[in-house]
Amino acid sequence: MITLDRASLRYGPILGLSPTTFELPDGGGITGLLGPNGAGKSSLLQLLSGLLPPSGGGVKVFGEAPFRNPAVLARLGLVPEGDRLPTGLRADRWLRMMGELSGLSGEGLKAAVARSLDIVGMADRAHLTFARMSKGMRQRIRLAQALLHEPELLILDEPFNGLDPEARLTLMALLRDLAARGVRILVSSHILGEIAQLTDRILLLFRGRLLAEGTVTEIRQLLDRHPVELRLTGEAQVLARWAVEQPELAALRMEADAVVLSVRSPRDILPRLQKAAAEGGIPLRALDPLDLNLDAVFQYLTKDHA
Amino acid sequence: MSAAPSSLATIRATARGYAPRVLQGRGWVIAGLVAVPVGLSLVLAMIARLKGMDGDPAEVLKVFHEVLVKMMLPIMALVAAPAGIREDLEQRTLPLMLARPAPVWALLLGKGLPWFAWGAAWLILGTLGLQLIGGDPALLPGRMVALVGAWWGELALMTLAGLLFKRGTLWGALYFFLWEPLVRIFPPILQRLTFTHHIESLAGSRAAQVKAHQLLAQEQVTTHPALALLALLAFGALCWALAGWKLHRTPIGLAGSEAEG
Repeated sequence: MITLDRASLRYGPILGLSPTTFELPDGGGITGLLGPNGAGKSSLLQLLSGLLPPSGGGVKVFGEAPFRNPAVLARLGLVPEGDRLPTGLRADRWLRMMGELSGLSGEGLKAAVARSLDIVGMADRAHLTFARMSKGMRQRIRLAQALLHEPELLILDEPFNGLDPEARLTLMALLRDLAARGVRILVSSHILGEIAQLTDRILLLFRGRLLAEGTVTEIRQLLDRHPVELRLTGEAQVLARWAVEQPELAALRMEADAVVLSVRSPRDILPRLQKAAAEGGIPLRALDPLDLNLDAVFQYLTKDHA
Repeated sequence: MSAAPSSLATIRATARGYAPRVLQGRGWVIAGLVAVPVGLSLVLAMIARLKGMDGDPAEVLKVFHEVLVKMMLPIMALVAAPAGIREDLEQRTLPLMLARPAPVWALLLGKGLPWFAWGAAWLILGTLGLQLIGGDPALLPGRMVALVGAWWGELALMTLAGLLFKRGTLWGALYFFLWEPLVRIFPPILQRLTFTHHIESLAGSRAAQVKAHQLLAQEQVTTHPALALLALLAFGALCWALAGWKLHRTPIGLAGSEAEG
């Protein structure tokens, strides 16, 4: 569905995206595009949505270059970042126009507008002008405009920015539902928790470079050189005595009824830990990995490249 | 998935979608630029009539040539043109439209047409208002066509300037208020490169009414009205086409600014 072959983007002398190569296969699902502000997320999304041509390399969406290409644009929907809607217009009329610009007409257009408004839960408030809508409502309308023509690929740039918690949850549920219907969704965010709640598949960008792609676990496996923190709950003194004998141990911290180990290669130490606990060699009541999550992955990777 | 819309469907959709914008602040400023001077002249003419004085055709000529043509028409273009695609560029709403499969050049024309229609309607009303002051009925059609034709060309020119230059309004103002007045001292060939020349060719010359300091330095040339109208319409169409081509060729990202592609 998406192929980037050493695609790069420059804004004059500034490099927005370094030569980047990756592929996203056909089919539905959500892919998270993660990175701090200025990482190159929006640059990548602009290449994919056909707003900008690459400065170098190639970008293909549905097998074709997307820039000013109606054949590609007819199959994708874009929800850009920010509160960008024309002031003074009514949402339903504006959606109607956007539908027509997507090639819809007549009864098909009417049905598409009604369906999109229904999906985003704005059917009863679409007669309002944008100025009279809340930020959350406007965000829903931005999503509705991208869904009008039932795109196969939906691109969302920082869609959760400025939304209250309830609106965030609603939008997440909506995106999951769309993905389940077969829409491929590419969503960018600089907040790891948001993406972690939506999907396991991520592309990690930092300073215009694609640092990693895959699931959180796959990426974590790339990081064996980085210690993983494990909290062992039980008799802390006994657990600590067992831990210091393990070659993978990098650091150790005592807590009231637990010990926190910083270990390298958790895949080597974990089987031994489980075996010792099963044989009664150590009084282990619980094992909690503390940093086997997106935050930790992100911190480690970005620290390496900073 | 849907097919890409035709150019005509794109123009129609964009014009209809953005038509309500002309009824907002900017639209009423444009209306006021015509309505206020014509309305004031009308009031003054009515007062004069109440005092038993006849309408003054010279007053009509003055309002038409000195106020509407020379001042208000250019200001209307300078006010209306940024409401087209330039506004979308600055408000960052353009990417939503550029990410559609519609022909890009047609978006531009579609956004400009409601402003053209709105301005043209007020110019026609203004010309009709001038008749009430005492304008020559024989000159009415020519005046209407001249103003509407020039409005088409000037709006298109300013739209193009807005896409070519970051300070398009400034360049436009310089053109209208520095270049156009030079028509009085231009040789014939350069006179034809002004809106003023074509407007006067269509609306009828006011040479008989000019004062001594307004006398032409060069002989005033005339162009057949049909040719003058054709020139205005063709110039406008050329500007719309160039602006459309420029928009199509320019990579415009989410920041709303041009980017090197």
